[in-house]
Amino acid sequence: MAGIIEDENDDRVPISLRPEWSDVTPIPQDDGPNPVVPINYSEEFSEVMDYFRAVYFANEHSSRALSLTAEAIGLNAGNYTVWHFRRLLLESLKVDLHVEREFVGKVASGNSKNYQIWHHRRWVAEKLGLEARNSELEFTKEILSIDAKHYHAWSHRQWVLQTLGGWEDELNYCNELLAEDMFNNSAWNQRYFVITRSPFLGGLKAMRDSEVLYTVEAIISYPENESSWRYLRGLFKDESALYVNDTRVSSVCLKILKTKSNYLFALSTLLDLICLGYHPNEDFKDAVEALRTWDFGEQDSDIARTICSILEKVDPIRVNYWIWRKSRLPQVA
Amino acid sequence: MSSSETSMETTIDKDLHVTFTHMMYHLLPNPYESQEINHLTLAYFVISSIDILNSLHLVEKEAVVNWVLSFQVRPGTTDDPNNGQFYGFNGSRTSQYPPDENGVFRYNNSHLASTYCALSILKIVGYDLSSLDSESISTSMKNLQQPDGSFMPILTGGETDLRFVYCAAAICFMLDNWSGMDKEKVKDYILNCQSYDGGFGLVPGAESHGGATYCAIASLRLMGFIEDDVLSSCNSSSLIDLPLLLDWILQRQGTDGGFQGRPNKSSDTCYAFWIGAVLRILGGCNFVDNKALRGFLLSCQYKYGGFSKFPGEFPDLYHSYYGFAAFSLLEESGLKSLCSELGITNIAANGV
Repeated sequence: MAGIIEDENDDRVPISLRPEWSDVTPIPQDDGPNPVVPINYSEEFSEVMDYFRAVYFANEHSSRALSLTAEAIGLNAGNYTVWHFRRLLLESLKVDLHVEREFVGKVASGNSKNYQIWHHRRWVAEKLGLEARNSELEFTKEILSIDAKHYHAWSHRQWVLQTLGGWEDELNYCNELLAEDMFNNSAWNQRYFVITRSPFLGGLKAMRDSEVLYTVEAIISYPENESSWRYLRGLFKDESALYVNDTRVSSVCLKILKTKSNYLFALSTLLDLICLGYHPNEDFKDAVEALRTWDFGEQDSDIARTICSILEKVDPIRVNYWIWRKSRLPQVA
Repeated sequence: MSSSETSMETTIDKDLHVTFTHMMYHLLPNPYESQEINHLTLAYFVISSIDILNSLHLVEKEAVVNWVLSFQVRPGTTDDPNNGQFYGFNGSRTSQYPPDENGVFRYNNSHLASTYCALSILKIVGYDLSSLDSESISTSMKNLQQPDGSFMPILTGGETDLRFVYCAAAICFMLDNWSGMDKEKVKDYILNCQSYDGGFGLVPGAESHGGATYCAIASLRLMGFIEDDVLSSCNSSSLIDLPLLLDWILQRQGTDGGFQGRPNKSSDTCYAFWIGAVLRILGGCNFVDNKALRGFLLSCQYKYGGFSKFPGEFPDLYHSYYGFAAFSLLEESGLKSLCSELGITNIAANGV
């Protein structure tokens, strides 16, 4: 076999020397006559997978096979064949799934960005049913306390809420996370998830008012935070007329514009509002004009065109986009 | 690079990258054994990289074809074609077990993502897919489709999300056979993944994400639900909220020039492909500050070849591949052009 390297783990007893495995003949990997892009396997990896092949092919359901799957998972936590076989063993050996849950927790701590671990965790939770709800919410909370934007943890948490419930404290949890970091886009997304789907909150329409208040405050605190502006827009999903006519939306734009600081999103939001039919008054025109600290040449009387011109200057990374947006504006009479 | 240029890197060091990927082609270093289950995917990264770098002559095409074909799971002589199996490709030797005397695969671990990688590699090395026994792939794929339109990657069970929707769409496209999926249901699932902010999450309700957005848009394009260069046309797509998506996607470019996968996260090399490819598909490439993007990507270029996720780190195969792909989208000289929606070069996609 090509490329066997020295084991670093000297404590490990090779399986071939373990008495409980003496009756099993490992099945070597058949890489075929001309392996392409070969992997430089370690001795440990080759041996574990050779023995796994043997028990899998023989369909051996035993506790030694179960232990072996744990070893294999340790070497390649993404191996879905091993995970699947482990699930078959857990069922036939009637293993206590609370114990298995602990096992998954340990594996996850070393490998948390791995789809198979989370899929297995979900499988265990499904089997345990409603009683698993709190432990799953706790588990994801722990992961999120280390990495508050952990995509798998959020996915799992959303699945738990939808399948097992536990919605009651979720909006509060979002409040906590946002208080820690208002820029946590995952927490904003979860907020949207909760207000639209929680059976206790009445849906988007019922929550819109209070959420607009919350979001406007968040915007005022950190006007440079993209997440809050997008959330505000999202509160009016499929309701452009409401978005355009809600004075709180246009007001917060004006407020931020007047500060002349961190006004990029305020400008682009105002532009979007105008494109959706909003007619800004003189206050807006003055506030926008005040941001134009250079000479364009001819002054543009159209506020939308002025906004685009300013954005071309102050958001240079997206200059071509703002030029394009300007070109798509309805022609001024 | 001419002597009149500044000392800052302005071009990628193609020779270094060719050496890097060629070394990988000959032997993947030991740390990659922890990803062995995705061996075919690793091979796809290596071989597609070599192709993008216009160095396919370094690859033994016949050996590659035979190796890839050895992973295929075909129905046995006694197999009922309607037995609910998926007949695709295994992803690795650790998940592959021989068939019995009747050619029946008692242990069928063929996988959607591996199948996508297998077909991609075959196309890259110029293998004519009509030589492939592909009917069983196409028809059995519907056994993986879920009631909500999404796809499970493997019959023994797995997470269902946009990644496998993409794999399924790409497979159907490459085989020019859509009998394996209910397209309308797939479209509905994808649309349900569009978030309130215009981007797409991996599953409905999930946070919008660059990679998921690529899977969504590329799939819709492959299925024919989005026309080419849709931004240039006066009729905006009513299927998805295109203006909202465009605004979200363009905001992913940071002041460091790189692309982030989600708002308020760090720029990462691979999103230069995921996001860049979406813009290419929609016809919005010129909205990117290409100079700034190059600057970021070059800061992730490793001195001995390859690209890392973040500036100043060690390279890995995944980020190297997407780094090369991103430079191809930037039309770097010496690199082959990329078919954005398939994730392989245009020559590979369309045949010689």
